[in-house]
Parts: sequence; C-alpha cells; structure tokens
Amino acid sequence: MHFIDFSIAVRPDLLAGLRSLWSNLAAPGTWWSGAERVAIAEGARGGTTDLIPSAAAGAARTIYDDITATSRVWVEGVLAGGLMMPAFVEVIGVVSRLAAVDEFTRALGRPLEPLPEALPGSPTREGPPSARPGRSWVPMVGGMSITRALSLVPAESEAQEEIHGPLYLSYGQMADQGFERELTRPQMELVAGRVSAINECFY
Amino acid sequence: MMLRESSKAFGYDVDIRAVTDPSIDPGVPHGSLLVAFSDAVLGRHDVDALRSELVEAIGDSGLLGAAGVIGNFSMMNRIADATGMPVGRGFLAATEDVRKLLGLDRFKHE
Repeated sequence: MHFIDFSIAVRPDLLAGLRSLWSNLAAPGTWWSGAERVAIAEGARGGTTDLIPSAAAGAARTIYDDITATSRVWVEGVLAGGLMMPAFVEVIGVVSRLAAVDEFTRALGRPLEPLPEALPGSPTREGPPSARPGRSWVPMVGGMSITRALSLVPAESEAQEEIHGPLYLSYGQMADQGFERELTRPQMELVAGRVSAINECFY
Repeated sequence: MMLRESSKAFGYDVDIRAVTDPSIDPGVPHGSLLVAFSDAVLGRHDVDALRSELVEAIGDSGLLGAAGVIGNFSMMNRIADATGMPVGRGFLAATEDVRKLLGLDRFKHE
C-alpha cells in the first residue's frame, strides 16, 4: 500500500488521487509499458536505467530537475534522439505528475514515496488523434490551452485532470474566485504564482 | 490575474508584486509565510521551522492546502514549459500591465 502513515489528516479525495496516480504510473500506458513508465520516473529522480532510451531518460531528468532549460530546440533534440512525438508527450505527463507528488511530499516533510512495482502488459499504442501543429512545441488536439497540452495522448490528459482537482481545484471550480477549502482562493493563488515564478514559468 | 481577481472577492488589498519579490507583503492573510514556505520547499532549504510556523498559523489543514498547490503547479509549470504552451495574444494584451509590474517577460523562452 502506498501513501500511508501521514502525520496529518489527508482529504479522502486527495489520498485516493495520489494512490490512483501511482497505480496509473505503474500500469502500461499508451506508448510505454508499466516497467518503462516506472523507469522514466526513476530516471527523472536521477537514477540510472537501461530500460528506456537515453533520449527519454534525459528528457525525463530535464523536465523534473531543470525545467527552465527547455526550448523548441531542446524538444527537437529529444525527437532527433529517437523518440516519437506521442511517446515524448507521455514522458511529459509521467514526469510532471511525479513532480507534483514529490513536491507535495517534500512540502509535508515526508520522504519521497517509493516508486510502485510495474504492472505487466503492453502499451495500447492507440494512434494519436488528429492534431494540428501550432505555435506550441508539441501538437495539441482541439486548440491550444494548458488543459489540452497533453491531448496528443488522451490518457495522459485524463490522468492530469484527475489529480488537478484534489491537489488544487477541478477545472469547474477554477471559475469560482470565492472558493475556500483549507486555504482561501487568494492564498492558493499566491502560492501558485510564487511557485510559477520560482519555476520561471511564463505561461 | 487569478490572485488579483480572487482577492477582490475576499476583500483583500493584495500587492501582486509579492509573487516575484518576497520582501513585499502580499496583503493576503499569512501571505508572507506562504511565500517563504514555497521558496523553502522548492529551493530545497531547511523547511522544518517554516512548516512548524505555518501549522501554528493556519493548522495542519492549511499545510495540506499549501502542499497541494505547490504540487499542482510543479506539475502544470512542467507541462507548460515542456510543451511550449504559448500565451494567447488576447491574454498577452490583457496582462500587459501585470507582466510589466512583475517583470514576467524575462521568463519567455522559445
């Protein structure tokens, strides 16, 4: 069992979200097997693995640990290293959710959650939906917005949305400027803004 | 934008410059502490004392809420910056004053 022995009470929806995210990480994805997805997470945390191509391990590490280093040229280099675009998008999804869990964990003062045991099975390899290249570095389906950033791999978009609500706000709740849970909405937005400034995120 | 709009809803006299300048009082209850805590977590500094101070001020549930937001935006920032998410022209125009005030244009990378 993962995510046990918290020193403070954790909302049931958040606990369920974290456990679901870990199960999702361990399971076969669209372009990577469960073992490869866990290896991507290991590589992101700085571990070494022969299970995934070096281009994937390098991309995972940069996204996790040095996100300010990304650029269009960097993406082109990752793809030139042998990754298909949809497989790269899945790496972004896996690593970004890992970063969410790890920073949440650090904030609470807990040791990093051990990575899950990979589940057997093959990736679905469901062809990417029709996506048009735009001004972003990766194609998106149905227009460009942060909620569609991973839409080239729909399962990654769904996993992102699933944890977004428990950690912060659901997409529906975001319209409610008067929202209040553990923090008031302005307190939440202050933390969000500061985190984004530290990460030098223009978006 | 969200900080400014939500602060209106709560009647806070917010100073959004605190987002990029932690020496400024944000005008949000326990705001300076929340900023310092975020800095310590992401900067890998010693967080224990600030975490205790935060719990003293807003309780365990407040700590949980702050940790959740830190986690979520650690995810969203990475998605935006790894996919090269562009900012729409309309949004750019609407946020020109904020971007100038906070010096956000230095974060653009192509």
